[in-house]
Amino acid sequence: MKKIVVEGLKYRYPLTAELALNDVSFEIEKGEFIGIIGRNLAGKSTLCQALMGLVPHFYKGAYGGSVTVDGLNVAQTEICELARKVGLVFQNPFTQVSGSKMTVYEELAFGLENLGVPRAEMMPRIESAMALLGIERFGKRNPFDLSGGQMQRMAIASVIAMAPDIIVLDEPTSQLDPQGSEEVFQAIQALSRQGMTVIMVEHKMEKIARYSDRVMLLDHGRLVDFDTPERVFSRDDLAQYGIAAPIFARICQGLGIRTPQTGLYPMTLDDAYDQVVNWHE
Amino acid sequence: MKNSMWSLKLSTSALVLIPAAVGINYIGKLFAGLLKLPLWLDAIGTVLAAMLAGPVVGAICGAINNVIYGLTMDPISFIYGLTSIGIGLSVGVLAHRGRITGIGSAVVVGLIAAVVSTVISTPINIGFWGGQTGNVWGDLVFAWMAAHHFPVWMSSTVDEFIVDVPDKIATVIVAYGIFKGLPQKMTILFRHDSQTEQL
Amino acid sequence: MKALSLYQDNGTLIHRVDPISKLLYIAAAIFIPVVLTGFTAGLAMLGLSLMLLVLARVLRKVVPLIGFSMLVLISVVIIQGLFYAGNRQVMFALGGVHFYREGLLFSAAICVRVLNILCAFALLVLTTRPSDLIESLVRQGLSPHFGYVLSSVLQIIPQMTGTMETITDAQRSRGMETEGSLMVRLRAFLPLIGPVVMNSLVSTRERSLALEVRAFSSRAQKTFLNEERVSTSNRVIKIVLLAAMAAAVAWRVVS
Repeated sequence: MKKIVVEGLKYRYPLTAELALNDVSFEIEKGEFIGIIGRNLAGKSTLCQALMGLVPHFYKGAYGGSVTVDGLNVAQTEICELARKVGLVFQNPFTQVSGSKMTVYEELAFGLENLGVPRAEMMPRIESAMALLGIERFGKRNPFDLSGGQMQRMAIASVIAMAPDIIVLDEPTSQLDPQGSEEVFQAIQALSRQGMTVIMVEHKMEKIARYSDRVMLLDHGRLVDFDTPERVFSRDDLAQYGIAAPIFARICQGLGIRTPQTGLYPMTLDDAYDQVVNWHE
Repeated sequence: MKNSMWSLKLSTSALVLIPAAVGINYIGKLFAGLLKLPLWLDAIGTVLAAMLAGPVVGAICGAINNVIYGLTMDPISFIYGLTSIGIGLSVGVLAHRGRITGIGSAVVVGLIAAVVSTVISTPINIGFWGGQTGNVWGDLVFAWMAAHHFPVWMSSTVDEFIVDVPDKIATVIVAYGIFKGLPQKMTILFRHDSQTEQL
Repeated sequence: MKALSLYQDNGTLIHRVDPISKLLYIAAAIFIPVVLTGFTAGLAMLGLSLMLLVLARVLRKVVPLIGFSMLVLISVVIIQGLFYAGNRQVMFALGGVHFYREGLLFSAAICVRVLNILCAFALLVLTTRPSDLIESLVRQGLSPHFGYVLSSVLQIIPQMTGTMETITDAQRSRGMETEGSLMVRLRAFLPLIGPVVMNSLVSTRERSLALEVRAFSSRAQKTFLNEERVSTSNRVIKIVLLAAMAAAVAWRVVS
């Protein structure tokens, strides 16, 4: 089932001359885990916001083509309607705090109150989102007293509590240490396995390679490639797009080791290990 | 389109601007106190919000500002919310008619805001305090005029006005300086006439 | 981080009265003396407020709340006692200056009125958590958007104050003068508030985006995480207050 269909999407922010997105088309199936990569200003954040309707409804500007999410045409649907289907987590956790709630628990309730979720349903949803992101013990704290990493977990949990079908995450682990980001990735993967469609912008290529079903490579507002991590990261023109393949792929590339079945470089530590061992035997 | 500045339907950006503006009012007042300036400078945020988003948002900022002061510092502030609303409205209208173009016109707008503030505050001062403002300099003038048998409304008006004039002029100048320094991609969010263009 | 609030969590009976009843009490405290005129009603309401403040164990906290107004009131008594337009009868002399009976009576009326209002508000402010007050108002029909704005202000001010302290220290350590002549201090003002102001305005964009994502503009009937407290005693309080106001009007009409 097609969850997201984007056709010929073009977008230009107000007061700017260049297109932030230029003729982007793709389709995403329900339950897929999609990684979006590309250098700064490639259009990654703009694309994320286009899935939620912030582009064009919030910014205005110039818009062309179409985005269809779960059968809804985004250009003709209000953001608050889309918020029932799509959750979006931004990069900066500080500005994502609603700023009107005194505790983390209440902060998670903010979106649910706005949606009109009945009280009895609210609490289990909040509690399971807090458990998933490992922030149960901060429930009574003031959101602004949290560290950057804790705040980022709270921001993700706040969106997850709203139980969207699709979650879009724009560099959600920028404030987290390596162990913290691994935990967050595993939490997101768990949601993906339950059938949530995940779209994630991330600079940590190892993680993208390991968790994504497919990887979308953007550059200058155009869609360069949209394929399995192995195929995308085995391209020999990655440097041209400001991307370095995951470290394991680069090592194997340096050694000339490919996975025999596909002829592509291995992406993860485990795959790389297997191939290196095979190669030595 | 012509009356769009009076639209009562507030965008999310406009609503988020209000707490920031009230915070700016508070910070202005705090710094003025810290630097021992003989001014209040407690309406910079209201004036900024009025410049950015028009008279309706300016007025709401003024009202909410005084509600919050009333709840957290001095209950008497509630009543002077009317004055704050007047300042927000007048600056918002002038700004959206394009009357604030430089420091010179900022001074004029400050003067108009001072007149508005005086006209609204004076009856409150008379009804509430017998005509005083609580500002030492203004009240000295009030006492002098009362001693020389000027009518209460006149002494009270002078009391309020001489305090308001320098304060409101300084407030509008500071707010205008900040407004000019804001990036355009931010100020455009509060425009009432943006439309999505078709590509 | 402490939110901006004068709330004292003493958990007394007064604290459990719902915020709307306290608002109604303020209305009554202002309304009844206005209708009945004269000193007695004002003094009676003031006495009642003080008694309730004692019951709520917050009487001492009233002092800072009314401090500024007290200073003004003292100056009102002096200025009106000396210069009130209707002054005829000297009441007493202090160091060669004459205080007049009419002016003192006039200023005493102002004092009772102001203190009465202040104490009624103090009862609300000192015994009600601001977030509870805002939530009650939203339940009563205040737009949730305004509810958001009010609670957000209570959070944003302590945050900005925190930032401001950091900036003051930074600017001072860079050698900016914050003391000296009026010109020096005036010049220090803009560099001090500029960064905080810019920062808070620029972050409004990202915060608006984040609110949109959390369905802030939704027209769905809003629900609440906290349960509404409904009790018969609160209803009784409201009825008594309304009845008292009605009785005051009736008394005025009859007599």
